[in-house]
Amino acid sequence: MLEKNYLWRIYWRLAGVIMVCVVIALAAVSYFSHRVFDRELVPETEQKAATVGASVRALVLKATSYGIDFANLYGVEQTFAEVFEENPEFAYMAITNTDGNVLFARGTEPIGARTHFRNPVVLQIAHETGEMSKAARVGQQYIVSMPINDDGKPLGVLHVGIDAAFVDHVLLEVLLDVVVVLVVSLFFTLELLNFMAGARLASGLGEFARQVDRMKSGDFTATARMRANDEIGRLLRRIDSAIDHLNVRYEFLVGELQDKMRSAVGERREALKPAAAALEQIGKRFRFGSAAQSADGDEMNLNRIRAPLFAFILAEELTRSYLPTYVNQLLVAIPGISPQVVIGLPIMLFMLIVAIGQPYLGSWSERVGRRKAMLWGAVLATIGFAGTAFAFNLYDLLLWRSMCALGYAMVFVAAQGYVLDRTGQQNRAQGFALFIGAIMVATVCGPSIGGILADNIGFRASFGVSALMALASILAITRLPATEVIVPATKPARGPRMREIMALIVNRRFMTLTGLAAMPAKIILTGVCFYLVPLYIVSIGNTSAMAGRMLMVYAVMMVLIVPLSASLSDATMRRDRYVSIGLIISGLSGLLLLLSDSFLVLFGVVFLLGLGQALSIAAQSALVAEHCQEEIRIYGHDAVYGVYRMLERLGNALGPLIASLLVILWGYQGAFVALSALVLFCGIAFTIATQGTDWQPAPHVTQ
Amino acid sequence: MGTIRVRFIVVALVVSFFAVGMAAFLNYFKYKSTIGGIVKSRVLVIGRNIENSVQASLQVGMQFMELGTMNALLSRERASDRLIRGIDVFDHTGQIIYSTDRARVGEKVPVEWTEAAARSKTTEWGQEGSDEFVAGISLKNNFDLTVGYLALRYGAEEVDRAAKIAGREILLASIMSFIGIALVAPLALIVVIRRFERDLRALESAASHLEDRTEPALPTGSAFDSAIGNLRSSLRDANVSLDDLRAKLDSVPP
Repeated sequence: MLEKNYLWRIYWRLAGVIMVCVVIALAAVSYFSHRVFDRELVPETEQKAATVGASVRALVLKATSYGIDFANLYGVEQTFAEVFEENPEFAYMAITNTDGNVLFARGTEPIGARTHFRNPVVLQIAHETGEMSKAARVGQQYIVSMPINDDGKPLGVLHVGIDAAFVDHVLLEVLLDVVVVLVVSLFFTLELLNFMAGARLASGLGEFARQVDRMKSGDFTATARMRANDEIGRLLRRIDSAIDHLNVRYEFLVGELQDKMRSAVGERREALKPAAAALEQIGKRFRFGSAAQSADGDEMNLNRIRAPLFAFILAEELTRSYLPTYVNQLLVAIPGISPQVVIGLPIMLFMLIVAIGQPYLGSWSERVGRRKAMLWGAVLATIGFAGTAFAFNLYDLLLWRSMCALGYAMVFVAAQGYVLDRTGQQNRAQGFALFIGAIMVATVCGPSIGGILADNIGFRASFGVSALMALASILAITRLPATEVIVPATKPARGPRMREIMALIVNRRFMTLTGLAAMPAKIILTGVCFYLVPLYIVSIGNTSAMAGRMLMVYAVMMVLIVPLSASLSDATMRRDRYVSIGLIISGLSGLLLLLSDSFLVLFGVVFLLGLGQALSIAAQSALVAEHCQEEIRIYGHDAVYGVYRMLERLGNALGPLIASLLVILWGYQGAFVALSALVLFCGIAFTIATQGTDWQPAPHVTQ
Repeated sequence: MGTIRVRFIVVALVVSFFAVGMAAFLNYFKYKSTIGGIVKSRVLVIGRNIENSVQASLQVGMQFMELGTMNALLSRERASDRLIRGIDVFDHTGQIIYSTDRARVGEKVPVEWTEAAARSKTTEWGQEGSDEFVAGISLKNNFDLTVGYLALRYGAEEVDRAAKIAGREILLASIMSFIGIALVAPLALIVVIRRFERDLRALESAASHLEDRTEPALPTGSAFDSAIGNLRSSLRDANVSLDDLRAKLDSVPP
């Protein structure tokens, strides 16, 4: 493992340097943007202040026209308060008389305002006629002053103060998105390092390490491999060359000895015996000749799956934060179905197609070839994304989303199969770490960037971006090796049969794991993250970008905690406890909304949900192998895991449906609370159900 | 320059391009939406004045369809801001009842306007066209029932002009920042990967002397010292065995 740790240390150092450079560049862009904002927004806001001022002045003049004394007007401050309410960038309003004395004022008076109002230039404004206004910087405000005169008779001056910090407030919102960009950049950096340099480096260093081990064990068989034209490739070529020389020398010596043995008789033959013995010893200690043809560059080919998988999953993840809001826009009244349920329909349909399709698409991808299956899936999804971007209404949207779902299921299972085909017992975990890594990085980057895109370029154009990403994944898939690796010993994968499904559904032990842990975990995941969070955030006047940031918190928790909880639960062998704790934490998350509906609490909800899911997710599937050994013996590993995954994915489909029904009954907050309470109940029930002796950890567990 | 170094530099440039590009994109669109919002709210101030007048008339019992002073009011308010191209008041079917442009009275407004007004959760609504924006207010009577809609049409050029200026400057700042990164990042990366390159060089150098029979190479301090040592000793062992065989063969008289 030297080469892996060694490389990761280098990656992190490189990522650190790149991040520092990116932060400096972002700071530079932000600084120059601030200058542009300051210079351009202030005059526009001054014009707005002039318009608002003109409206207030009209009210004042209307009152004075009824004979009310200008200095004794009633309700002026209240009018100012109403103006502040509608225009938060205004910090101060005042009316002064012709001597510059303040008659009416509201808001935060800037330092030096009184002096400014008595400035002869400002006093002169009262004597001006027409719609003119003048602006000046006073303290931390820009003061726009305009005359109030009644048919040429000067009454006073109206002043509107614009908070100079309002530009900072505008940019603060951008700053949150810039932080998101920074986090996404970090993950992109690691992904790109792996894609552009790391895959080849890792396989090169891996090959070097294996070569060293082979030679150490006396294996000097020559391999006929193409080496890359880089530092590692050149190094491997030198080693190949040294091995070739050794082989040539060995062959020559063997040939010479054989020739001499053939022609030697008597004493001479006896004299050759030590040499023959030496050769025999060499034969025992070393191996020369040609190496058996191994699967050419499997590690390199395995790494190649990461880029297309990442690009494809990213295309789908981009839509997470805004899909329900987009559906809301295309909503068509369906008789007998609540709009809340209709909004969740595309997500439900997507999850259902993935749930039902995956077990059967696995064997299909094996038949047609993983690469071809991935290509078909990516093409379908690209059409689906493009169709969604141009969707006319909910009905055709459902069709396009179904295509996306089918494509997603096809790519997912084919990529999974690709990894399975190219890994053995020794490196399967490594292969799946690569597979899950690509998905997790896409999950971190997708929703946040998608939300930002949706807010700025609109939902349809954002789906267009997803279509482009899916298209990019097609290009990456075409770079995968065209020749399939068929593992002859393995049986073809198959979907679970109906009788197996029925038998397992009524199996108490299996359903304790699936019904009380796996399904509720997925229900709360899709119900909260894919349905409630995007809709609730928009309903309280926030943006899709904010929904994306929230979903990013969930994904970051998963990335950080899952590896830790997986190793800890494996080490302690008390996976059931991790599942229990995870479910209970997930169940407590939504209950936070009982305390307050503040934004910070919603952040806490997503944080806890991410933590709970991260603690339980890795242990859940391992528990199936640990506690359903009898079922696996009867129905087979594929059938038990097939049914488990299918029910788990049905939970994915049920999540938005249950959440939407709860919204109808109790609104968004009520739905958060009720869904969490359901999971909390399942978590407690699971904890109680797994207390028995038959739930003690099994001595030997293999999945 | 090593190919691995080039790849790392390319990664740095791609990531920087993405980050700087996204920052520029975010700043530009934030600016555009902010300036659009300021201009729209400025137009809506005038709309609120009209709304107040309409509600005052409705409060004294006048019919919405028979507000005699409405066209004059609209013309006066339109003149108060050069930005406004025209003001229309239309009913729920989209038919224009009052307008600053008399020829428009009786015509239907685009269906997008009525849809936008119906979709809005507040009394304010808006619609963006290619060269003209609309800021609207749903007019309500005393019973909070919508009696009609007010639409203030204003030119997109004000927002477009401002966005164009800001966009150009943000783009320039981004390009400059990216150029800065393109110059600094490779240098910083070279410093960071020096150790890695030294390790690779040590490996390459060791590999070029793999078949030397000399004593083991001195440790270079690289992460691969032990691997290099193993390689050399394995080869030496094999060569020694073959040398032994050679010697035994040579010792046999011809």
